Amino acid sequence: MPGLTHSSMRDARDAEDNRLLENGEIDLLPAGWVETIDSRCVTKMRGPVGHDVAQVVCLRLWRELKDGKHRDGRWPFRVIVHQVIGYVCAGWYEKGWDEDPLIEIDSPTGDDFTSDVELQLTLEEFVVTLPPGDGEVARLWLLEGLEADQIAERLGKEPNAVYQARFRINTRLREWLES
Amino acid sequence: MRITPEQLLDDFVDRWTRGEPLAVDELLSRAGPQADELADLIDAFLERAPRREPTADAIAFVRSLDAPPLLRARQARKLKLDDIVAGLVEKLGLPENAREKVRRYYQELELGQLDPADVTASVWVALAGLLGRDAKGLAGVQPTAVSAPAMYRDADYANDLPEGALTMSLVAGLEVGPDEVDRLFGVTSSD
Repeated sequence: MPGLTHSSMRDARDAEDNRLLENGEIDLLPAGWVETIDSRCVTKMRGPVGHDVAQVVCLRLWRELKDGKHRDGRWPFRVIVHQVIGYVCAGWYEKGWDEDPLIEIDSPTGDDFTSDVELQLTLEEFVVTLPPGDGEVARLWLLEGLEADQIAERLGKEPNAVYQARFRINTRLREWLES
Repeated sequence: MRITPEQLLDDFVDRWTRGEPLAVDELLSRAGPQADELADLIDAFLERAPRREPTADAIAFVRSLDAPPLLRARQARKLKLDDIVAGLVEKLGLPENAREKVRRYYQELELGQLDPADVTASVWVALAGLLGRDAKGLAGVQPTAVSAPAMYRDADYANDLPEGALTMSLVAGLEVGPDEVDRLFGVTSSD
C-alpha cells in the first residue's frame, strides 16, 4: 500500500480485513497476521515454545473463521487476533484449557473482552505526543518507514541529528509502550 | 559493551518498518538477562502496530492448517516423507530394509490412522529431533505426569530379537509376526 502512513494503513488494513471476511477469503485473512501472531507468542512465552503456541492461535482463528464466526465485522479482525493470542498464551500450561470454548466475543455480552486489548492506541497517537522536531522524525520513521538518511534529506538535517532524535524517540517510545 | 533493550527495540522497529523478517527469537537471545524487558516492549509494540502484507509463506501456512499437525510440522521444516523415514531409521538404529515398514507406519501416524498412544517414547524423541517440535503433543497424545525416559535403540538391532527373527521378518521381507518396527510403533499385528 504505497503512499499510506502506518496509521492510515492500520485503518486500511481493518477495512481490507473486513472485505476479506465479507468475501469469504478466509485464508488470506489470518495470513496477514501470521508474523504478528508468531512474534507476539514468542515474546509472551519468552522463547521458542511461542512458535507452537502461535500455531495453535492460527489454528483456532482458522477454525472459527471456517465456522463462520466474526463475519458480522462487529470487531476489527485485529482485535480478535490479539484477544486469541492473549487467551492461548495465558492458558498454554493449564491442563485442559484447550477443551474450553473460546470466549464468545461475538455474543451480545462479549463487550468486556476488549478490556485488555488496546483498540485506540496507535503509533500515530504516540507520534503526536512528541515535541515537533522529534515528532516529525518519528512520523517519517515509524509511520512512513523512511531510513535515517532519507529522513535527514527530507528534513534538511544532518544524519547525525536524525540519529540523536531517534535516540530520544526510543526513550519516549519505551515509556509509551510501558504505559 | 552490553547492548541495551532500547537498542534492540530500535533494531526491531527498523526491521518492522522495512518489512524484514522480525526474528524475535534472535533479538531476545541478544538481550540476554534483559530479554524479559525487551519481550514486553516488542509485544506492546506489535499490539499497537498494523499488520504487514502477508507473505507467500504465510498464505501457504494458513492453507495448510487443515492438514494434520504432524504433516504441518513436517511441511514447515520442508522435509519430505523420505527424509523423515531416513531420519527415523538412523535415530532408532534400524536396518535399512526396515524403511518400507517405517514409512508405512509413520505415514499412518501422520494421517491419524495409527493410534499415537501406543507409539513408544523412542519414536517420539526421534521425531522431536527431526521436526524440532514436540511430536507427541502434535499427534494429540496427552502428556503423562511422569514420563518414561526415552531410549534410542542401538544399532545392534538383531540382539534383542529372537534368533532367526531378523532373517525372517526383515532381511527376507517376510512378516510372520510383530518385529522391532511393530513394537516401536505399537502395532500388534502386521496386517
